[in-house]
Order: sequence, then C-alpha cells, then structure tokens
Amino acid sequence: MSRPVPLLSASGLTKAHGRTPALRGASIELHAGEILAVTGASGSGKSTLLHCLAGIVRPDEGSVTYDGRRLEDLPEKRLSELRRTEFGVVFQFGQLIPELTALDNVALPLLLAGTDRARARARAAEWLERFGVRGQEESRPGEMSGGQAQRAALARALVTGPKVVFADEPTGALDSLSGEQVMTALVHTARESGAAVVLITHDAQVAAYADREVQLRDGAVAPLGVTA
Amino acid sequence: MIRMSTRHILLGLLASGPSHGYDLKRRHDERFPQARPLAYGQVYTTLQRLVRDGLAEVEGTDSDGGPERTMYRTTDEGTHELSRWSGEIAPPAPFVANEIFAKVVVAILSGGDPAGYLNAQRAAHMERMRELTAVKAAKGADLATVLSADYALNHLDADLRWMSTTAARLTTLTAEVDAV
Amino acid sequence: MSLLRSDLRLAWELTRGSDRGEWWRLTLTAAGAALATGFALAAVTLASLRGNTDVSVAAGLLDEPGTRSGVIVGLLLLLVPVLGFLGQCARIGAVHRDRRLAGLRLAGATPWQVRRIAALETGLACLLGSAVATVFSVLLLLRLWDRPNVLAWAGIALVAVAVPVLGAVTGALALRRVVASPLGWVRRVGPRGGRGPGLLFLAGILVVAGMALLTVATTSTAAADRPGGGPPLTMMGAVLAVGAGAVWLSGATARATGRILAVRARSAATLIAAERLRDDPWSAARTHAAVLLVTVVGTGFLGIRQVLGDVVRTEEHLAASESYYTTGLDLTGAAIVIAFAITLSGLAVGTAESLATRRRGLTAQAAAGVPRTVLGRALLLETALPLAPAVLLAGLGGMTIGTWYAALSGRPVPWATALVPLAVYAACLLAAATSLPLLRRTLRPGELRYA
Repeated sequence: MSRPVPLLSASGLTKAHGRTPALRGASIELHAGEILAVTGASGSGKSTLLHCLAGIVRPDEGSVTYDGRRLEDLPEKRLSELRRTEFGVVFQFGQLIPELTALDNVALPLLLAGTDRARARARAAEWLERFGVRGQEESRPGEMSGGQAQRAALARALVTGPKVVFADEPTGALDSLSGEQVMTALVHTARESGAAVVLITHDAQVAAYADREVQLRDGAVAPLGVTA
Repeated sequence: MIRMSTRHILLGLLASGPSHGYDLKRRHDERFPQARPLAYGQVYTTLQRLVRDGLAEVEGTDSDGGPERTMYRTTDEGTHELSRWSGEIAPPAPFVANEIFAKVVVAILSGGDPAGYLNAQRAAHMERMRELTAVKAAKGADLATVLSADYALNHLDADLRWMSTTAARLTTLTAEVDAV
Repeated sequence: MSLLRSDLRLAWELTRGSDRGEWWRLTLTAAGAALATGFALAAVTLASLRGNTDVSVAAGLLDEPGTRSGVIVGLLLLLVPVLGFLGQCARIGAVHRDRRLAGLRLAGATPWQVRRIAALETGLACLLGSAVATVFSVLLLLRLWDRPNVLAWAGIALVAVAVPVLGAVTGALALRRVVASPLGWVRRVGPRGGRGPGLLFLAGILVVAGMALLTVATTSTAAADRPGGGPPLTMMGAVLAVGAGAVWLSGATARATGRILAVRARSAATLIAAERLRDDPWSAARTHAAVLLVTVVGTGFLGIRQVLGDVVRTEEHLAASESYYTTGLDLTGAAIVIAFAITLSGLAVGTAESLATRRRGLTAQAAAGVPRTVLGRALLLETALPLAPAVLLAGLGGMTIGTWYAALSGRPVPWATALVPLAVYAACLLAAATSLPLLRRTLRPGELRYA
C-alpha cells in the first residue's frame, strides 16, 4: 500500500538570518486534514520553518511543495494569493488591524477576494459567532480581551475556507483557560472543514491537541521522540 | 499524584443518601471519569471497614426484583469524619519519590542509556497527553471530564518539562552520579 | 552638574544604540532646526536695520522700512512650514522612543530625569542645526555688511540660543504620557480625541503671528506716512486666519471622510484607510495644515502676481524701476516654493514614519496574504482622501484673494491660478508615494518575530 501524497511537503530547507542559521536541512510532510504540532526549544527554527512552509519567506535552499506546486517557482503575487485563499495564518498577536472592528477584520480576506461588503460582513458575523465572539463585532482589537482577539484572528484565518492553517504560538500570549478555548475552537473548526493545521508551539499541552508531533532541534527535524 | 482515599470518597457518595455497593461503584466511575475504576471487591471491603469503624451502618436490604442488596448509610461520626477530611490540606509532595528520576539514576549507575529512556518516556507521555486532550476537546465533553483530564494533563506536562531539562543536563548528572 | 553629565551620557548611549530611524529623526530635526535658524536670523538681521539704508541685494527691496517689513513677515511665515516639518520629525520613532523612555521609568528614573534626557536628545540635535546655520549665516552677513550693529548681533545670539532651547522644551513636553505612566503606551481603545498636536501647531503659528505683527508695527513706523502698513497687516491676518482654520479643517475633514467612507467602503484599501482616518484624524493635521496654508498663499500669490505683472507692464508711470517690482514678486515666489518644498518633505517624512511605526502589523497583513498593492493603495488613500476637500477649499480661498485683488485694480480675474490646487494635490500624492518603496522594504518576515 502506497502512502497518500502529502498536501504540503518540504525537504532540505535551509535559511539563515544574516549569519545566524535558523534552518539546517529541515524536511517535513503534512497530509490533508492533519493537525501537526511543531515543537522545539526557543531558537530551534520553528517560526522560520512556518514562514517557509507558508511561502512568507523563501528558503535559501530546499524546496516546498504544496498541492503539486513548488512554492519557490511562484512569483510573490501568486504566493500572496495562495496565502489569502488556500492558507490561513494566526500569529501570537498582531494579525488584526488595530483600526478595524472585529467584524471588518474578519471580513477583510473576503473583501480582498472580491466579495461585496454586506455579504462579507454577514459571513464574518457567522464566523465570529462560531468562535464565540458575540457582542464584540463592532469592537476594535484593543477593546477586546486577548482570548477574544485571538479567536477573532482564528475566524479571520478560517473565513475563506483554507486548506492549511498556520498557527505560530496562537496561545502564547494567553492564560491557560483562554488558550484552551482558542485551541478547542481551532481544532473543532479544522476538523469540521477538513483543514490541515501546522501548529507551532513550545507548550506540550498545546502540542497535545495535534495528531502528530515533529520536534525541531538546531534547525532540523529531530529523530522521533528525541527531546530538545 | 496524591493517592485518593477510597474510604472518604465512598463516605462522600453516601452523604447524598443511603445507597448499595453496586450503585456506589457506578456513581464513583461517573463522578471521576479517567480515574482508575473501582473494583466491586474493593467497594465491599471498604464499606465493611466503614461499618466496623462506626462511620457507616447497614440500612437494610433491598431486592427490587433482582438479587438481594445491602443498603448502607453514613453515621453522624461518618459525616463528621468526612467534613474533617474534605477540609484537610493535602500534604504537598511530602516525599520526592519519582519513578522516572529513579530510572534515570539507575540507568546511569548500571551503564544503561538514560537519554534513550527519557526519549521513549517522553514519547509515551506525549501520546497519553494527546489521548487525554482528545477526550477533553471532544464535542459535548462534560466539565467533570474536562477537569479531570486537565488535572492529569498538567501533571504529565510537569513530568515532560522535568524530562526536557533533565535530558539537557544528562552529562552533568552522569558526571555527578559517577563521582559519588 | 554631575547630574546633567550623567543624563547627557544616558541620552548619548541611548541614541548611539538606537536604530536607523532614530538617526534619521536627529538628522532631519537638525536640518529643520537649521532652516528655522536661517530664516529667523535673516528676519532678525533685517529687523535690526533702522530707517532707509542701502542694501546691496534684492534690487533695493530692503532699503525701505515698509518693504523690508514685508520681507521680514515673509521670512517669519516661512517658519510655519518648518514648524510643521519639525513636528513630523518629532514623530519619527515616537512609539519606539516612548517605549524606551518608559523602560527608563520602570528602571527607576524620575519623571524629571526622563524629561531631561528626552529634552537633551532633541535639544542637542537642534543645537547642532542651529550652530551650523548660525556659523554660515554670520559668514554670509560679514560679507554683505561690513559692521553689523549691536542690535543685529544681539538678535543673532538670541536666535542661536532660542532654537535649541525651544527644541528641548518641545521634546520634554511631548512626553506627557510616558512621564505619567512607566508603562508608557496605553492600550488603544477606540478613536482618539486628542487635539494636542494641532493645538501645538496652532500655538506655534500664533507665536510667529505675534512676532510678525510686532515687526510690522515697529519697523514700519518710519514709513507711517505711506499707505503700505495697512494692507500687508490685513493680508497677514487673513492668511493666519486661514492657516489656523486649516489645522481644524484638515483634522475635521479627515475625520468626516473616515466616518463616511468607513461605512460605505467597498474595497479593502478604502476600508483600511478610512478606519485609520477615523481612528486618528489629527495625526496628519500638522502637515496637511501647512499644505493648505501654502495652497492659499500660493494660489493667492499667483493671482496677485498676474495682476501686478499686468500693471507693471502696462502702467507708464511707476514709482520705482520695473526690476524693483519683479524682484519683489520673484522673492515672494521663491519663498512660497521653498515653503512648499519643506511642506512636501514633511509630508513624505510623515508618511514614511506612519509606515515605520506600523511595520509589524503591516508585515502580519502581508503574511496573511493581503497584497502589497492593497497596503500601498491604503497608504496613499490616507493622504489623498482627507486632502482633496481641504485643498479644494484652500484653493477657493486663494482664488478669492486673487479675484479680490484683481477687482481692486480693475483687471481681469486670474483664472489660470485654479491650476495651483491641482498641482499641489498632485505633488502631495507624489510626496506620499515616495514611501512606497519603503513599504516593500518594511514587509520583512523578521518583523513577525516577537519583540
């Protein structure tokens, strides 16, 4: 029996920030609908790996293939479109535009895709409701609690029905209860919509939400079960 | 993990009214999901000890069409003992008796592979954490399930952290253990 | 004294260790201070002249007290765009600086210590600019004027000292928030109502206006018999009223535009720009106000110039040579062009700064797939949207001045000046567009790493 073709795969990724190497030959595979945790100590290259996988940065060497397309062959314009339509991203903070209301923030990807404003806002409202952000539709990110803002950010990442959600320490700035709510919301929605998730975290309790764990050590994937 | 006192838990379950052994076992497993299930034998021996110590007494028997069952109820002394116990502070880790740590030290002493052991143990811990998280995050999980899973998850997480730092300091530990 | 020395050392260490933005701020602040010093020195030196003299430059325009006072007022008016420019410079890296100084507060520095350090940072930059400008001005002055009088020297000394002192005071005053709370920045909640910057700018204009009035009043007395003192004063008053209105108008239009468009926006770029305007309509008010002022003056001046040129060419009997008039007009024109150039620089600096402050957020947007073109368009719209109605109104104001003057002289209305607001608008968009390449550079994933 042959293994199914992975949805997203990377091989031999290297990337240096200036003279500091962040990735040294990392390889990884992600299957459709799979929730994959990437763990590792600070500075092990987790975020850089996510940036390469999501086409946010181009690796110095190595290749990233998504759905049969090699990301390094795509121009920035196409990458940007890919991130907007097929991918969703959630960071520790900062992905919401501070001047826009929660509703407009969630509606933004739809607006960019050409949906008209009223329809986009209606869809955004549904998503906010799904993530339990109620009565805060017209609040700006600064007026919401960290957990609510992060759930709004998840709604924004998932509103376009992405195939892969990239989450970089999505609970990093939250207390454990808010973090639990955010993770439960993420896992449930991903399962329902069949989206795969790449979850970067240094927290084992967050990593335990995933189906599988990959550990990074010194910019490469550590052999199974080896601690950092 | 702090060992649970079956005596007191049964006393607590009896506090809501007389009950028989089978019912007590069922209610225990319901209240404490993810805990080690109580064996019938253990329930009956514990009940007999409670009666012996005057904390519970036999209410009567009840057949209800099926096999005959002995009904127990709590005594005043039992109620008193229960309130004393539930208000008592559990001693915070009186003895450091950690199996994982013991195995690491023994592995070093006997020239084994402590790093390999820690890796395998870590993988097993992670696997168990994934299971518990799946139980906790399942749609419609009740709060008791979530809380008991959380309790275990936090302890496993503590073990994991300890294993991570220990793995990173194995060289120093080996030198120390070998020097003694 | 040792206290000052330790503060000075801290200020220097902080500056030395800071990023490029901080150096940009200091360099631009020094440049602005140099400009301000230069204009103020020229004005002070001219003001020190008494009665009719013989000045070798400017075709005799500076010989008589009446025209001289006009030139002085013009020089002082040039300080307005310079103030706007300096205001923009003060904002460069403001967020970063606030955080750094808040760090000092957390580390136990007293409010006054933080104030002193901030004042020293800005004051030293201003001192540098003022020193350079003073040295060159004095050298130039000695070539033109063999023995400047005591009044001139006193004035020069006063300006050279006043500029850095004022800079230091402003630097300290701008820190109210950080000084009040060691945590520095407050969580952004809803649209801000602060008119602080606008008020500060207004205060600056009022100071300049007061000085201008004083100048006209004192230097024109010798020519009281001539009907030259009245109209310039009226004009000054009108221009200043328009300028003060411009700050308010610019802020108000920004807010109104934001409020109206935020509801109706159909595209992402418009929505982002509109919400940003609604959130902080006063941030751009300073530069925009200077733009409006230049538009009024520029449009009005071109009208007057056209009418006057017409008069000079056709009139047989002129009080002075033709060059006397054309030189006056050319000088004024040059001053307006300089003012406009400074204003545009301020606008460009302001746009670049607004980009730099938001770089992390913008990078996150780009990472989430918001196309750069949308972000760039939003950036331009932030300048373009509120400026359109404001420039239109300012242009109308300028046209009114021109038309009024034409009617006074019985000449045809100078319609061609209607092009000025359009040109100003286009130039402003270009100035804002200069930061687009910066946007490209700003969107680096390195910004996504946590602070």
